Amino acid sequence: MSPERIVAVSEEPALLPDLVRVGRSVGADPSDRVVAVLLPGVPGDAADRARAAGAHEVHRLVAPASTDPHVLTSALEEVVRTLAPTLILVGSTKRGRELAGRLAGRLDLPAASGVTALRTEGGALLLDREALSGNAVATERIERRPAVLALLPGTTAPSPSVAPPGPAEDRTVAPVPPLTETVEVRAKAGGQLEIEKADRIVTIGRGLRKKEDLPLIEALARALGAEVGCTRPLAADAGWLSDDHWIGLTGHRVHPKLYVAVGVSGAVQHQVGMRSAQVVVAVNKDPNAPIFAQADYRIVGDLYQIVPALTKVFST
Amino acid sequence: MAETLRIGVAVKHGVDVTLTRADRATGRVDLAGAPRKTSDFDKNAVEEAVRLREKHGGTVTAITVGGPAAREALREALAIGADEAVLVTAESWSTWDTRAVARLLAGAYRTLGGFDLFLVGEGSTDHFGGLVGPRMAGELGIAEVASVRKVTIEGRAVLAEKDLEKEVEVVRAKFPVVLTVGQEINTPRLPTFMANLKASKKEAKVLAPPDVGLAPDSLAPVVVVEKVAVPEIPRKQVALAGASAEEIAKGLREALRAEGLVP
Repeated sequence: MSPERIVAVSEEPALLPDLVRVGRSVGADPSDRVVAVLLPGVPGDAADRARAAGAHEVHRLVAPASTDPHVLTSALEEVVRTLAPTLILVGSTKRGRELAGRLAGRLDLPAASGVTALRTEGGALLLDREALSGNAVATERIERRPAVLALLPGTTAPSPSVAPPGPAEDRTVAPVPPLTETVEVRAKAGGQLEIEKADRIVTIGRGLRKKEDLPLIEALARALGAEVGCTRPLAADAGWLSDDHWIGLTGHRVHPKLYVAVGVSGAVQHQVGMRSAQVVVAVNKDPNAPIFAQADYRIVGDLYQIVPALTKVFST
Repeated sequence: MAETLRIGVAVKHGVDVTLTRADRATGRVDLAGAPRKTSDFDKNAVEEAVRLREKHGGTVTAITVGGPAAREALREALAIGADEAVLVTAESWSTWDTRAVARLLAGAYRTLGGFDLFLVGEGSTDHFGGLVGPRMAGELGIAEVASVRKVTIEGRAVLAEKDLEKEVEVVRAKFPVVLTVGQEINTPRLPTFMANLKASKKEAKVLAPPDVGLAPDSLAPVVVVEKVAVPEIPRKQVALAGASAEEIAKGLREALRAEGLVP
């Protein structure tokens, strides 16, 4: 078996230390190397954090900062040519998946995204990834190298190892003209809530008849010391709550100790967002709502009667 | 004279996630025998393609890569308003991975003479890898904008709003460009009876891998699915009932106290 040479790419700098740690555990042999690659424009402290996480080497790509996928993948193509990695890791963010796909297409490499666990078996990579809209786990095998993998936060890998310090090296990248031009970047409205960190969540779904009834749900959340979550229709379609409240496949994945789903039918795309909650309470007037299959405590009833009663009981 | 707008759109006839059941004993899901349907976001892609044609003229060509049953996805695309339908198929279709699908789409793109705009769902309902669109653009060496929730055409370029986790990036890209779109971009129309009837009478053009410049053995999977399983999360399934809402609420308080979640 030839040594692993693993490149961790800083598409999302906050995820880079995790990628390095996964790289170190996959490449646990003394002859294996983990190289952190900082894309142009990434803040310098990312280098320190990558080293602290165990990177053997840090390479800073020197070029004008860009978000154009062609510019970024061209820089990564050069990295692949010069560093000859066996494995390229990026974060499974929207941009990360885009880069993984484009790079894989440029160089005809195996690729997978949404990876939640990674290990090697002989020279092959074995990975778990989300499948069926996140409600199942697919185990996949990749023999051909190098491979490009986009890892979800919290990806597990066996035996993380301790880091030696390593030098940071600047690497000038030949410039390529961008294929797209950024006209404007605007922050999303809201966006302040980090619901994936919440311990308790009260989530409201389409059972809520109108936006003006939201205080009903907010009062219950206050009584329980919980954040307010919502399903896709309330955020994306109706816009009653901002995207940072949205729980589900294309919203946020949450892991609270207590999850109270009110008027939530429980579409599979919602379940993937909440399935790792410890204790689930569901309130729904439809006894056949799919959410009940995911519930520890089931309350069949009209939320307009149940929620005020819950608020009263939990406020005292 | 303005050139005619050529829009391509990829549709996938994927596993119907809502009808998929795991084997109770093993937790495994048999995907080979699972019911299939058109992937949700791909309908958004077709709808957006048809809306752009309605506004700017031109043609919409729907392309699917898959088995014989994938004609159903093409029929749906035609019913929404696509002008032409293309099925890329071979006996080995069920072994094709993301790489093979992206290569076949890129091959079809070239064989059909290229497109100004090529729309793809941001992720499929069953796989949700989000790789096919960017991978195809990478194969072709053309621009792509992923996660688009709004698109307008300005001359021979698009202005697209890219929906990222914490921000929206407005991007201008000249033709040709691949766009991946999500559910937020539109609400696909429900085709009329007549549109459905007309769509079911239209023949799809059928292409084999060699027709799009690919030897069948170059499509062998490089990412092999070993198994698909549903993780078992045991839930207590306790029904709380009572004569009044307050009684039910008190019952829940007792239960959550026992869990150590409320004082």
